[in-house]
Amino acid sequence: MDNESPLKAIMVVTATALVCSILVTVTAVSLQPIQRAYRDLERNRHIVGVSGLLEVTDDVPDRQIVMAFQGLDARLVDLDRGVFDDDVNPDTFDARKAASDPEFGVPIPAAQDIAALGRRSRLVTVYVVEDADGLQRIIFPVYGKGMWSMLSGFLALESDLNTIAGITFHEQGETAGIGDRILAPNWQARWRGRKLYDAQDTLRFRIAKAAVDPAAPDAAFEVDGLTGATVTADAVTNLVRYWFGPHGFAKFLDNYSAAGDTR
Amino acid sequence: MIRARDALLNPLIDENPVTLQVLGICSALAITNSLYSALVMSLALTSVLAYSNVVISMMRRHLPASVRIIVQMTVIASGVIIIDELLQAFAPETAKTLSVFVGLIITNCIVLGRAEAFAAHNRVGISFLDGIGNGMGYSLVLIAVAVIRELFGAGTLMGAEILPTVSNGGWFEPNAMLLLPPSAFFIIGFIIWGIRSWKPEQREQPDFAPLAADELRGD
Ligand SMILES: Cc1cc2nc3c(=O)[nH]c(=O)nc-3n(C[C@H](O)[C@H](O)[C@H](O)COP(=O)(O)O)c2cc1C
Repeated sequence: MDNESPLKAIMVVTATALVCSILVTVTAVSLQPIQRAYRDLERNRHIVGVSGLLEVTDDVPDRQIVMAFQGLDARLVDLDRGVFDDDVNPDTFDARKAASDPEFGVPIPAAQDIAALGRRSRLVTVYVVEDADGLQRIIFPVYGKGMWSMLSGFLALESDLNTIAGITFHEQGETAGIGDRILAPNWQARWRGRKLYDAQDTLRFRIAKAAVDPAAPDAAFEVDGLTGATVTADAVTNLVRYWFGPHGFAKFLDNYSAAGDTR
Repeated sequence: MIRARDALLNPLIDENPVTLQVLGICSALAITNSLYSALVMSLALTSVLAYSNVVISMMRRHLPASVRIIVQMTVIASGVIIIDELLQAFAPETAKTLSVFVGLIITNCIVLGRAEAFAAHNRVGISFLDGIGNGMGYSLVLIAVAVIRELFGAGTLMGAEILPTVSNGGWFEPNAMLLLPPSAFFIIGFIIWGIRSWKPEQREQPDFAPLAADELRGD
């Protein structure tokens, strides 16, 4: 057949597209379980890192991470009612996916959608750290839109459910050297001991524009800013404020603190 | 008839895609701050080149001119996606450091350049060698740049300490500028300068003759 006939062109393009798409699909589908397992392991490494159970460095072997993660109590929180929901299995529930599911997802009112999420799941998995002395920490997932990418991480609260015990981000795609400084361990360390709410229960936490003056009245609620990366830093402020605001975990925290426990 | 040896070895220095043709520079700037990422990137690019050259050479008699480039791009893009997926499954840490640059192999001019300039007109075996050769030429530059940047920027090679740095109690003061992308620009520039001084036939003819002084005065 003449190479330049339109029919030949259509045939070649169709055949190439077909073969290539089959190859790519087969690879992607068959490797997906392995990729997902690594992603989960990586995420669990971050969760264990803020749990306070284990000093997590790159040298800690995967096995130890898996053991420590197994020791955490994963629970689903019903954000709208502010209580634990034990009817759904927290280990298989994916809150990010559920956000677009008509059964679990709810739209976020525009006025409250400061983290630019659009929708969120009604149920969200949190990790409770307990030992013989009782509650130690609760680890909350937080995510929201950064300058270029979705930022997702975990924020751990001490047993007073107000003091920050740790922050970590396991997913972000901000500019290397600018926005990705939210990953810097010494910056994340400055979150420790900061408080979310004041005595009147007003959410005061934010990332400041620059270094925080320790004598300032707001110092207890503020983390030093990242100069040159204010857009990303503001996005982090907003995502924390969304998830710990009235549309996030605020109701659950109120109930939990009031009852001591909401099981 | 192109000889196998030439197809494989010429791209190393005499027809190096990076230093002679100045192709594929973007990834060379981005991922050469550590030798390990440079090695993985080299391997990824060489595999893609070999694969795309072979496939495009096999199709060369059936490629209508009107859709040639788009078909070549489809073949290349599929190969790159497969490599990216493999890296994400079996070397997730590395995939993370290389981030978008594996995906950007699709737009690496060396790949499409060799497909168009070589594989589309030559037999499969020799196209394969041409792919490997050009991949090695690219790798050679990448590795040279990465060795300089990692050694003098961090005092390490493959993450192992070679020059004990001051911060670790040694004597070597690393030059952090080498870890930033622009430094690769200078290093590649120096390499090109070096090669062209050694092999003057690689020098480009100037596009315009410089104006003589009296012409400038406008007399
Ligand atoms: C290519 C490019 C990438 C940038 N990436 C980020 C980023 O990831 N995060 C960020 O907060 N700012 C980033 N910026 C800078 C912002 O545009 C903005 O200038 C900065 O956040 C303002 O911070 P400042 O008020 O502390 O100077 C980037 C700028 C450029 C030109």
